[in-house]
Amino acid sequence: MAMIDIQGLSVTFRSKGHEVRAVEDVSLSVAAQESYGLVGESGSGKSTILRAICGLAPVSAGRILIDGKPLPQGRAFSRQVQMVFQDPYASLHPRHTIDRTLSEPLAIHGLPGSDAKVVQALQDVGLPPAFRFRYPHQLSGGQRQRVAIARALMLEPKILLLDEPTSALDASVQAEVLNLLNRLRAERGLTFLMVSHDLAVIDHMCDRVLVMQHGRAVEELARADLANARMQTGYARSLFEASADRLMETK
Amino acid sequence: MTSLPARQGWRGWLTDPNPRSRRQARLGQAWLAWLRIRRNGLAMLGLAIVGLLLLTALLAPLIAPHDPVVQDLSRRLQPPGTPGFLLGTDDFGRDILSRIIWGSRVTLYIIALVAVTAPVLGLMIGTVSGYFGGWVDAVLMRLTDIFMAFPRLILALALVAVLGPGIFNAVLAIALTAWPPYARVARAETLTVRNSDYIAAVRLQGASHLRIIAGHIVPMCLPSVIIRVTLDMAGVILIAAGLGFLGLGVQPPMPEWGQMISAGRKFLFEQWWIPTMPGLAIFLVSLGFNLLGDGLRDVLDPRSAPK
Repeated sequence: MAMIDIQGLSVTFRSKGHEVRAVEDVSLSVAAQESYGLVGESGSGKSTILRAICGLAPVSAGRILIDGKPLPQGRAFSRQVQMVFQDPYASLHPRHTIDRTLSEPLAIHGLPGSDAKVVQALQDVGLPPAFRFRYPHQLSGGQRQRVAIARALMLEPKILLLDEPTSALDASVQAEVLNLLNRLRAERGLTFLMVSHDLAVIDHMCDRVLVMQHGRAVEELARADLANARMQTGYARSLFEASADRLMETK
Repeated sequence: MTSLPARQGWRGWLTDPNPRSRRQARLGQAWLAWLRIRRNGLAMLGLAIVGLLLLTALLAPLIAPHDPVVQDLSRRLQPPGTPGFLLGTDDFGRDILSRIIWGSRVTLYIIALVAVTAPVLGLMIGTVSGYFGGWVDAVLMRLTDIFMAFPRLILALALVAVLGPGIFNAVLAIALTAWPPYARVARAETLTVRNSDYIAAVRLQGASHLRIIAGHIVPMCLPSVIIRVTLDMAGVILIAAGLGFLGLGVQPPMPEWGQMISAGRKFLFEQWWIPTMPGLAIFLVSLGFNLLGDGLRDVLDPRSAPK
């Protein structure tokens, strides 16, 4: 059964008689433990799909099923789905220590043993325990993103939504964080729904990818199609060609 | 090439870059903040003045040379420097120094009460208003506007007139007129952080509105509010003095600085020291709070904190 099943999803933002259709009639389905990519240029609605799943964007049509059931509400939802944000400089509370940031989800859900779990979580994302009482401004971008990943995993969700998790990082750090995510997915059997504008990242991470343009789905590609440049549509091909040289490098 | 020698003892424990417990980390942070404020000479001067006020109020019965209320008409209107009466006596023969010393208790009482009521109220209203937005914001902000539009002293006067004169009512009146600026500051700060990713992240973890406001938004507003409190303290002392001056605050014979100035004003030209000495005390304490507030701004404002 599909872990995430989205049928005919539309998201429309309304303000003062103005309508913006950010997402129109998009359907996709992600199997359990699969890694699924959404790719497209800025404003193509890919991040909006993630926000719609989190309930942060107004769904005007369509349905979203998680594990075959409608979106759970409130705390049940946070036990199942968590998100890693794009900008690690903005996603950690600047006045909370790493310890506070990581123990907060446990406190919210009233889970015991936060001391040991925080230390374990830091270890899992490859940070030394000495970082526990530091503030975000004492960490580098890559280290912050590791903390953000650790925070998303504190509640042991089954699904991780990744909103361009490495686009704010430089190339070498990017690879480290992507490898970390791949390792965690393998270890914990996570399902990824990942947004990126970079086909090289998608190629490294995802089993299947949906190409989007202007809020609509253009084409779905399997990894083999991507590697052999078997695209049906012109837009997907041009997107592929734009990052083709970097795709070759990683091979 | 040589590594820094490891610090020993409690200092080493405080400045340990890798604290081992939450308590140690918290104390270490406080210690670093203290080191930062200690480098600021003017802030330390302000802190010294405020500390002096605290000590004076605490030790008033021990250090006051005379009883502040007992009258002795044979020794009235003595000039400063008279043996036994360092700052002179007033028109009832009471020692001005002793009255200032005892009056510091009243001043401190007013400051403390206003400091724990007005900013808390303002912070609550401001963060709730900014966080929820929409009609909640509209209602609360219009309420704030209404309170802000009143001249502070007039509103305080009206409240005291209704509730009756007295120190507690004066404090209540000051607190009720002092919260709107805090609400404004807190709301402005809230608006800048409420759509940030870290708030979205904690919301995604299932946190309640109360937890988000108290645990995540208030800490971001706190520095600017604390700074405003210390900067406003001077104004609070002056308003309390003003109410005392108008006879609506502390009632005689209880010594209070504003009321002492008020009682002494008819002697201003012949016996200048009677209103001047309490005036100097108000000036000194206001200055102390202002300097401290300036220093705190440097320590608490995250934008000016050293990286």
